[in-house]
Amino acid sequence: MADTVIELSSVSKRYRLRGGGWYVTSIKDELGRLSARLLGRELPPREEFWALRDVSFSLKRGDTLGLIGRNGAGKSTLLKVLSRVTVPTTGSFVTNGRLGSLIEIGAGFHPDLTGRENIFLNGSIMGMTRREVQRKFDQIVAFSEVERFIDTPIKHYSSGMQMRLGFAVAAHTDPDILLIDEILAVGDASFQAKCLNKLTELKAQDKTIILVSHNLTNITEQCKIVLWIDGGTVRMIGDPDSVVDAYLEHVAADMSAEESHHDTPSGRASSSLSILDVTIADEGARPQNGFDREDTVAIEIAYTAAGAVPGAVFGISIHDLHGHDLGGLLTDPDVITVTSPVERGVLRLTLSPLLFNKGVYTIDVHVFDPGTKRYYDLRRRAARLTVNGQSAGSRESTGYIHYPHQWERVK
Amino acid sequence: MREVIANMIQHRDLIVSFVRRDIKARYKQTALGVAWSLIQPLSMMIVFTLVFSVFAKVPSDGIPYPVFAYSALIFWTFFSNAISGGTVAMVSNGVLIRKIYFPRETLLVAVLLAGLLDLTVASLLFIGMLVYYKVALTLTALWVFPLLLLQITLAFGVTSLTSAAHVNFRDIGHGLPLLLQLWMFATPVAYPIGVIPDWLRPFYLLNPMAAIIDGYRRVVILGVAPELPALALSAAVTIVLTYVALAVFKRAERTFADVI
Repeated sequence: MADTVIELSSVSKRYRLRGGGWYVTSIKDELGRLSARLLGRELPPREEFWALRDVSFSLKRGDTLGLIGRNGAGKSTLLKVLSRVTVPTTGSFVTNGRLGSLIEIGAGFHPDLTGRENIFLNGSIMGMTRREVQRKFDQIVAFSEVERFIDTPIKHYSSGMQMRLGFAVAAHTDPDILLIDEILAVGDASFQAKCLNKLTELKAQDKTIILVSHNLTNITEQCKIVLWIDGGTVRMIGDPDSVVDAYLEHVAADMSAEESHHDTPSGRASSSLSILDVTIADEGARPQNGFDREDTVAIEIAYTAAGAVPGAVFGISIHDLHGHDLGGLLTDPDVITVTSPVERGVLRLTLSPLLFNKGVYTIDVHVFDPGTKRYYDLRRRAARLTVNGQSAGSRESTGYIHYPHQWERVK
Repeated sequence: MREVIANMIQHRDLIVSFVRRDIKARYKQTALGVAWSLIQPLSMMIVFTLVFSVFAKVPSDGIPYPVFAYSALIFWTFFSNAISGGTVAMVSNGVLIRKIYFPRETLLVAVLLAGLLDLTVASLLFIGMLVYYKVALTLTALWVFPLLLLQITLAFGVTSLTSAAHVNFRDIGHGLPLLLQLWMFATPVAYPIGVIPDWLRPFYLLNPMAAIIDGYRRVVILGVAPELPALALSAAVTIVLTYVALAVFKRAERTFADVI
């Protein structure tokens, strides 16, 4: 097919591990192996690790592919193979057109050279001719916003300035295929907006883009296809919503498979009060994990107390899958008190209506003394909450929270 | 081989960029700057003149010993710096190699070209010395260019091999200074080629640098053509070595990013 710009067929990549290092050997090691082989002794096995296994997919011109997966799943290795930095152990791949990468932008910078010199250096490393750099020089400088310091050695630049310069060069290489690794996670807000706009511009120009990001919202918004890679193999490839959903489901299931993390804070006042378990239930007190937006959710916290613990405050906090705190709620110690020993007490917190958008959330539960700021107990990821609903592309709110709201035209 | 040459042409701008980076970065924040290109061969010349000429009375084919030594030292210094720079070129550009694809041999070419600048600077002093010692240049001196081309090819071949080996075996980095020192004494830098006994000569000439260094001296100072059979052997060894070395390099190149 003429329109196919990337085609991978069963690409695998093997790394060898040795003595903790990545296949860096010394002559001594190799002589040892050689003599062992000559003497017919058994060779110490080389540890192997398949970073990619049997990866196949193809992209057409103008496709935007999102690459998701956990750390170490093989995303970076796949990008390295695609950018020809490393060669697959088996399998083959074909790319059609000039390839640009926004992986570790500014990798070719030399700290002692000025911004101007580095633009030329980095530009030619990215495959531009000097004349091409010359032609785009002003655009690059304007985009990077470092005009005033263009003749200063870049070792005096802030890291933000270096990054902007790196991105500016990379974004002007005019590639047909662009590999982007976590670019949107860095830089200040206005620069991120600039990067996103550049991305949209490139998509409008029918460039083929491969985007790696941990930000799943970005992935669903920017990509036409999503590839979920797990343990070096393609777990799923298809439309963004269904792949991201399956991925989230998997991550959440994995999380609950791990025992919920029971912290024993060092600053613990006493073991007189501890959390036993946490359950999530619906209106009818039936335990359940999946909800729709605007449902009623009950969080039940079971605890045990060895004696009276006046002033203890219970609290929950809700997190996204990256661990970002989305907000929490605390008890009022004047209303909820532990006045006598109790073997199993239960608190219920009702959220009504549930205002979260589609996604998977985890809940931390803790109990502490507000006076001394010491924890009696703290349970991370004590419970999981899955919210179903409209996918990112079609819903009327973005991010995590769906505010009760009303739009109207007043004039 | 054809692939390598095509890469050079296609990536000539990249090579130029690397050369500029190497030269500019080398002399940033130095007080003496480009004068360092003179200091190395010049100080060697002074030491050699003292040790080999004044103390040990090594013959020098009737040429004033300082000119005799310097004529070889500038080219040897170029060679030796190219080998040490080229050998570590992959590892010292490791960050780049791990992140971005470009034909890796461009780094070796850049080291060689940057070294040519030093050679040029050192040659200016050499011309001054020729005038001072009243050595007249003849047209035969134009042989310098083919000799230099041969020497550059050899250095390219050697560094293709050593730089690829250095990526996998850092032992190379430790052994190299010793090797270069031994190599210099196996080359007529401090002494004339004439002192080599006849029975040893065939083996001695297997060192491609021997005929090259002797060649410079003959064409520049003595005004006679190089010894052609010796030079032909040198060229043959160089071409075979470089051909094999490049094949090894292109193969090893595939895993540089994984190993560095």
